[in-house]
Amino acid sequence: MELLCLGLNHRTAPVEVRERFAVSSTQLGAAAGELANLADATEGVVISTCNRTEFYLAASDAHQALVLLEARLTLRENLDAGASVHFYRKVKSDAAVHLCRVVSGLDSMMLGETEIFGQVKQAYQAALAAGTTGSVLNRLFQRAFGVGKKVRTETSIQEGSTSVGNVAVDLAEKIFGHLKDSEVMILGAGEMSRITAQSLVSRGARSIFVSNRSFDRAEELARDMGGTAVRFDDWQRVLERVDVVISSTGAPHALIHRSDVEKVRRARKFRPLFFIDIAVPRDIHPDVAEIEEVYLYDIDTLENLASEARSRRQLQIEICERIIDAELAKLNLPGT
Amino acid sequence: MDRWFLLIATLLAAIGGTWGMISVHRGTRSHWTVVWMVAVLLCQLGFLSIRGQLRAACPLQDLGEMLVFLAWSLTLFYLVIGTAYRISLLGVFSAPLVFVLQAAALVSGMLTTSPNRDLTPNVFHSLHSAISVLAYGALALAGVAGIMFLVLDRQLKIHHLKSGLFRNLPPAHQLLVSLERLLWLGTGLLTFGIVAGFLMPRTTPVHSHLIVAMAVWVGYAGLLAVKTVRGLTGRKFALSTVAMFILSLVVFARV
Repeated sequence: MELLCLGLNHRTAPVEVRERFAVSSTQLGAAAGELANLADATEGVVISTCNRTEFYLAASDAHQALVLLEARLTLRENLDAGASVHFYRKVKSDAAVHLCRVVSGLDSMMLGETEIFGQVKQAYQAALAAGTTGSVLNRLFQRAFGVGKKVRTETSIQEGSTSVGNVAVDLAEKIFGHLKDSEVMILGAGEMSRITAQSLVSRGARSIFVSNRSFDRAEELARDMGGTAVRFDDWQRVLERVDVVISSTGAPHALIHRSDVEKVRRARKFRPLFFIDIAVPRDIHPDVAEIEEVYLYDIDTLENLASEARSRRQLQIEICERIIDAELAKLNLPGT
Repeated sequence: MDRWFLLIATLLAAIGGTWGMISVHRGTRSHWTVVWMVAVLLCQLGFLSIRGQLRAACPLQDLGEMLVFLAWSLTLFYLVIGTAYRISLLGVFSAPLVFVLQAAALVSGMLTTSPNRDLTPNVFHSLHSAISVLAYGALALAGVAGIMFLVLDRQLKIHHLKSGLFRNLPPAHQLLVSLERLLWLGTGLLTFGIVAGFLMPRTTPVHSHLIVAMAVWVGYAGLLAVKTVRGLTGRKFALSTVAMFILSLVVFARV
């Protein structure tokens, strides 16, 4: 038996091609069975996420099975012959290394992301339940999960937040711990503040207040996020109670001055206040950061932190790949 | 034998603190700190138990014993609070203080070489000493939490977020909550200690160290009152806690 992998991902195929091969999580088991039949293979697993669809098979002749599978998939999806450029093909040990890279997050759009580990596990479980795995793929996937865990615990591939929104949320958690008691105010109903606020809500933030020059827009965003709209003239009143302020208005000058915060300090009992200023020009005057209990982060600082985390992850790739090679070399996987 | 226990406890605290700091510097969590501190606690108990048998009373008769009792109390509160609130780094910060207190107790002259048996033990005297020193343990740990908060606050303020220390420090809010609870606990225990002090037999109307202890109590109670009623910034609260603890050590000079 030989191992093979046919796949397409965010680097090789545009979304309009990827979506044609996407398989819903409930159909993964059935798709694995169908796939094995298509390639005349004995075992099959289908991995499908928003960024990739990959077919792992065990067949008596990997090269022949690849040709067969690609031809039949192209025919089934009514794709022209040029569509083959979107696929990558891996056989034997290359396929095993590739799966380990995928599970470890090395092949992800956001390097080192952890979600892929669960997604691959789900795909394998579905195939296992559908009875489409055997000795080759079972050993391969179990080994890959072990390698993925080792990579994540022994390197810093998943350390640090790589997006502005996640950096802001991590900082909020460093200040307030659990966000379940934290209240958030959004000033300016822009996309970036919406994404950041949504991240805070997803991590448990108690309530969201949205204030915008256009009250209709504030109401719309508040409705989307299950929050409360606040008239733009009233944001100072809300400042008394919130813990996090995300500001991204289009104002040409600073909107929040030191005096605005000084006014509410007593009423807030000097509780910590976290300002996230993602507007350009900045909405919050830098003097605000001089107030003891205020932590102020602007877009450049957040972007720098995210960029540094991305660079740190890049530096880890080589170490991760060494671990993968060493772990795969330890045992003789069937099909490789 | 008692000194051997103390010496081992001091070495363990030094090793635990150093180990923890190296781990933190590397950016990893120090899972062994709790183990080291449990070992420290056991050695402290060995020391206190031997001294207690020699004294036939609570081993709080000389400055050395008081310092060890204080270190024991600090270690005990760390193990209770630190593990309950998952503030593992508290041990890394506590271990150096435990080391300093015990090393000071080991200095020549601090511990009576041949402790006399207390022929007239008094329950209120023992209660006063034991509860007061226990209170100081909680207040010392509050000071440690205060230092941790000040470090974290500074790093958040200047956006210095890359260090292993930053990654391992617990959230600022959690530190402030622990700090406040420890202050309430310490001040509560100190109240009982002072009351017991007034109930113990004395030759003069009021011992001078009791007056200092009352001043310390007023200081801590005032700090908690201000925090509760008016509110305080985390930095001022933490700074006041650290400063109050250092100042309150004067009480030992008056014993």
